[in-house]
Amino acid sequence: MLRRFRLEEPESVMEVSELLGRFGESAKVYAGGTELLLAMKEGLVQYERLINVKNVKGLNEVAPDNGTIRIGALCTHHQLETSPVVKQKLAALARLEQNVANVRVRQVGTLGGNLCFAEPHADPGILLLALGANLVAERTSSKREISAEAFFVDAYETCLEADEVLTEIRVPVPEGKSGVAYLKFGYLERPSVGVAVALRADGGGKSIQDVKIAVGCAGPAPKRVLEAEELIKNRGVDEAKANLLKAGEVAAHAAQAISDLHGSQEYKEHIVGVLLKRAFQNALSQ
Amino acid sequence: MQFEKQVEISASKEKVWNFIWDVDRFIACVPGCKEAKTIEAGKLYSAIMIEKVGPFRVEFPTTIEVLERDELTRIKARASGADNKIGSRMKLSLDVNLREQGEKTVLGFVAGVDILGKLAALGHGIIKRKADQVLDEFAEAVKKRLEGDS
Repeated sequence: MLRRFRLEEPESVMEVSELLGRFGESAKVYAGGTELLLAMKEGLVQYERLINVKNVKGLNEVAPDNGTIRIGALCTHHQLETSPVVKQKLAALARLEQNVANVRVRQVGTLGGNLCFAEPHADPGILLLALGANLVAERTSSKREISAEAFFVDAYETCLEADEVLTEIRVPVPEGKSGVAYLKFGYLERPSVGVAVALRADGGGKSIQDVKIAVGCAGPAPKRVLEAEELIKNRGVDEAKANLLKAGEVAAHAAQAISDLHGSQEYKEHIVGVLLKRAFQNALSQ
Repeated sequence: MQFEKQVEISASKEKVWNFIWDVDRFIACVPGCKEAKTIEAGKLYSAIMIEKVGPFRVEFPTTIEVLERDELTRIKARASGADNKIGSRMKLSLDVNLREQGEKTVLGFVAGVDILGKLAALGHGIIKRKADQVLDEFAEAVKKRLEGDS
């Protein structure tokens, strides 16, 4: 049962930040509420105040801006899966959003809420890492841009300060002959393993000029795997393919897989390798 | 969940043993543990365990019972507590042993931790990882405290 709480309804980011600063751990930002309200109903967390940010204007827009796509933190998953800009410029993100949770969650759950809750089995953070996204955090006194890599600290933990508000996600549009793939596997409601690959090949498609690899769901937080990227980057396609097995092993280790109901550590590590190989081939074929 | 840890301490077995029974100093090494009280010296103690995973916070008023005690060698204990606010319980079995290794002492412990109730919804893996972190921090703190004393 949901216990009583006070609902604050600020209309600006500064007001939200001020409220967070004033009420500290007794208050929590409430956007879509798909994760937060479930946890509150279960009695796992209790807050005296929820700060409803849905009345804050300008946080639910998607707009191209000088080689990046700016996504307001309040954009819902449904908005992103159907956005013409996202579908055209960040097709992999649109596909990912089509498969987040279920239709009810996608209708009200927001990208910003998903990232801030940092549930270990969430999809979007993994792909955003591979896309090299930056997240904009604002507070009354400052504004900063945080790389997706630095944003996720641990299970359910981000690097946001107590009075900081995530306002925007800036995603660079992949350039040149590029391909992006996110693959996940799971048989429960949430994915057991997620792997994202974003690569850029040379004009003839014979070598991999750049690649970003990220893994998640298997462990506490999404991780970018630089060591696996080194095995693929600046190599001919054949050599890169030959290195995929090793890259998969490296990525599996980096995932910090945990044995749980989703599968054993060894099983998840194996799946990381399988998905990495498939995601690479998928990205390369685009 | 079963955990096994071992820490090598540059201190005599007697010093490590005495430290374990110095409740205030020992409890100070347990992350998130406060308000330790001796109910019956050498047998029964109480404390409050507070742990946090992201926004999830648990507070277990805990009773610790010493079951067996072999002087300078081994302690067997069990602990249990409940957080009624979030409807969860914690059970811990602890087997501590001391072994001399030259001038050092090896402090080893086997801990069985069970978390029951709603907290389990966080996932076995996350809880296991947290418990592992707490035990590592505890072992490190004991080592630091004892070696700092010498």
